[in-house]
Amino acid sequence: MLKKYFKIWLLMTTCVSQIAFLSRFGAVLFIIGKFLRFGFFLLFLIILETQTKGIEGYNLWQVIFFFATFNLIDTLPQLFFREVYRFRSYVVSGQFDFFLTKPLSPLFRSLLGGSDILDLSMIFIAVGFIALSATRLEGITGLSIISYLLLIANALVIAMALHILVISVGVLTTEVDNTIMLYRDITQMGRIPVDVYREPLSFLITFVIPVGVMATFPAKALMGLLTLQFMMISFLISGILLAASLAFWKFSLKNYSSIST
Amino acid sequence: MPTSKKLLEKSSNLKMNKYFQVAKNTWDETVSYRLNFVMWRIRVVLQIITLYFLWLSILPKDTTFLGYNQSLMLTYILGTSLLAAFVLSSRSYSVGDEINQGNLSNFLIKPINYFLYHFARDVGDKSMNIVFSIFELTILFLLLRPPIFIQTDPFFLFLFLISAILALLLYFFFNFLLGLVGFWSPEVWAPRFIFFIVITFFAGGLFPLDILPKSVFTVFQLLPFPYLLYFPLKIYLGQLPLFEIFKGLTVSFIWLILMYLLVKFIWNVGLKLYTAQGR
Amino acid sequence: MAVIEVKNLTKIFTVYQKEPGILGTFKSLFGRKYEEIKAVDNISFSIEEGELVGFIGPNGAGKTTTLKCLSGLLYPTGGVINVLGFQPWRRKADFLKKIAFVMGQKNQLWWDLPPMETFVLNKEIYGLSDEKFKKVLGDLVDLLDLSDLLKVPVKKLSLGQRMKCELIASLLHSPQVLYLDEPTIGLDVVMQKKLRDFIRDYNHKYKATIMLTSHYMADVEALARRVIIINRGRILFDGDLTSLIKKHAPYKLITLVLKEQVARQKFEKLGKIKKFSYPEVVLKVESHLSNKIAAKILENFPVDDLNIEDADIEEVIREIFQSQNE
Repeated sequence: MLKKYFKIWLLMTTCVSQIAFLSRFGAVLFIIGKFLRFGFFLLFLIILETQTKGIEGYNLWQVIFFFATFNLIDTLPQLFFREVYRFRSYVVSGQFDFFLTKPLSPLFRSLLGGSDILDLSMIFIAVGFIALSATRLEGITGLSIISYLLLIANALVIAMALHILVISVGVLTTEVDNTIMLYRDITQMGRIPVDVYREPLSFLITFVIPVGVMATFPAKALMGLLTLQFMMISFLISGILLAASLAFWKFSLKNYSSIST
Repeated sequence: MPTSKKLLEKSSNLKMNKYFQVAKNTWDETVSYRLNFVMWRIRVVLQIITLYFLWLSILPKDTTFLGYNQSLMLTYILGTSLLAAFVLSSRSYSVGDEINQGNLSNFLIKPINYFLYHFARDVGDKSMNIVFSIFELTILFLLLRPPIFIQTDPFFLFLFLISAILALLLYFFFNFLLGLVGFWSPEVWAPRFIFFIVITFFAGGLFPLDILPKSVFTVFQLLPFPYLLYFPLKIYLGQLPLFEIFKGLTVSFIWLILMYLLVKFIWNVGLKLYTAQGR
Repeated sequence: MAVIEVKNLTKIFTVYQKEPGILGTFKSLFGRKYEEIKAVDNISFSIEEGELVGFIGPNGAGKTTTLKCLSGLLYPTGGVINVLGFQPWRRKADFLKKIAFVMGQKNQLWWDLPPMETFVLNKEIYGLSDEKFKKVLGDLVDLLDLSDLLKVPVKKLSLGQRMKCELIASLLHSPQVLYLDEPTIGLDVVMQKKLRDFIRDYNHKYKATIMLTSHYMADVEALARRVIIINRGRILFDGDLTSLIKKHAPYKLITLVLKEQVARQKFEKLGKIKKFSYPEVVLKVESHLSNKIAAKILENFPVDDLNIEDADIEEVIREIFQSQNE
């Protein structure tokens, strides 16, 4: 079963990649754009850190580490769940009907049916900066590295749950693009440690829309700034979100009204 | 002959009506995708909030940062976002797709000016944006009660308005130019993506540009980008001497003329190509 | 045993409406009027193994909605559906492996890639063995006469070629039940005939149960012995084509070619004149009288040639819909 799904994922990813390379020019420009965005914000952070008293008491390397970790958690779902961005066209053109009439989980097909290998380059950059800034951090232990990796995996589960919510809304309303961009924009708030935001916003984006759990907590864990209690809460949140999103997905399929052409 | 005069009047009225209708349809179209529209407005608010709190955290009360106190900086951040709704919103991104899919032909055979058509769409889009931006900023204002700087000098307000209109026109031509890429390549979205990232940075959407090192900033001032957001906002804040204001207005006006000529030229070259291929 | 069993199927959609104008725009932003539409209204039928049934009705009659319920795309509002012993909406893998849904207006092929890529992907999705894949693909490619197009990107194929590839992609797993929704739409007459022949052959060769909807009566006439006529979500008729004509069109058409001019009035007593352009005359007469009238004509008029035909099926159906809409 798992083998079958892996094989299909590989096949579809190859197909998508072939298509992506058909428009090499555009693909390269998109990558450059992403690098520029990364660079500009990094520059902005450096200006802020060097010219002011600093952001919430974090030093320059800590802020860079937060930012690089955010980029990793932001890019991994884009790489794997690239199909979500095309989901609207599948629903509108009726191709989603074919997802449903095949003996292959439509959820799998809608989320993982074709990953974007171009995003790998951004992953390399993010990992590079994570490694670079980590060497300048203090208080890293074996345990904190494990916590960091666990919380990153946890962040990806949350990201998956949110993507499932997005496509469920897509099934019900045929509107996807803005919901996914909304997700992206909310997570963008995690480019800087969420401690910056004031209450009640800080609470909201830490736990309710768990940007803090996704982007800030892993980095904090590595720096030894996160208690066990908060780690447990993080896992609980991702579990609840995943269960809720799967239930909503089922609900949306029951109410799917396939578009007639 | 009073009747023919009346007819003439009517036809010129019709001419304006045409573009008014386009603007109105754009307005309608935006709202008919209700969820999309609401989501998009929420996104705008989120972007404001991120920068707002970041600056609030960096600049506590009674501190200044390179000539900005908390009030001026927060006014700058909220101001650029309101101005962006006015300047950086545009529908002419569809130009590229229309060229690529051959829909441009539908316009060429109609008695309608393609530039004015898209400008009318922009007007519809912008007016919608302004209404909602004011609405949102009022809510944000009531919730956050930020220490906003209010400009009361009508002279500065007038110059601010002039510079904002120049910015709007300048951005319209930039956007249109990016759409014209469609004459040569099907990749109309990628250049736009880069352009938007560059714009938000160079126009001063992230931070006021004069906190950059002086030499860098001097070069920036010769580019067209700062005149889209940074420059009008600085006028509003009353931080520029009169001489600087007129210098800036001149530079942005020159850019506007250059962009107009460039777009016109590229449009003519592209159109020849388009009609030759008979798409 | 019936392969498809439908009892009291109902499907209701909720749609919203927007009033025109700026005021309407604002209204639709803050509160929308919803309306319920009964796309399918309490229909029942059953289909046996190997049957090829034509599903006829005007646009919006509920044909496609019914097929979508039968394939598990839509969750029925009411009623029971049983296909091959499964409830379609559960979309069990075992069920999906036995059915296929071909939609003439939608495509599942990857637009930028050759059709072969989609075929290989479907092979994995349906878990087909290499041998079976090769054999079925070979058979289908032969039947459809397509071998040299498998390596050409889909976007470069003509509409007819693309439809053939769509069919192959849908049939690779040898489905027992096949839903065809407007498979010939947009195709030219020659290609329509080819596809029709293919569907008939496929039905015979693999004993597949097929439900077919089409705008073209010719498709249905050529393929289906049994038709189900549906309008406004309800079934108007379910049975053989011949009995449809007997029931709804109890008349025949007599076509004659005259040797010399005859006054029009002379035919008016015999039946309804459908066409009168010398030398040809077409009369519409009641079925049971057709032979008598024909004999009378031959006796009394200078006739070169005479033909008695059944009513035109397309016209019969049009009349049924019209009488229902009145």
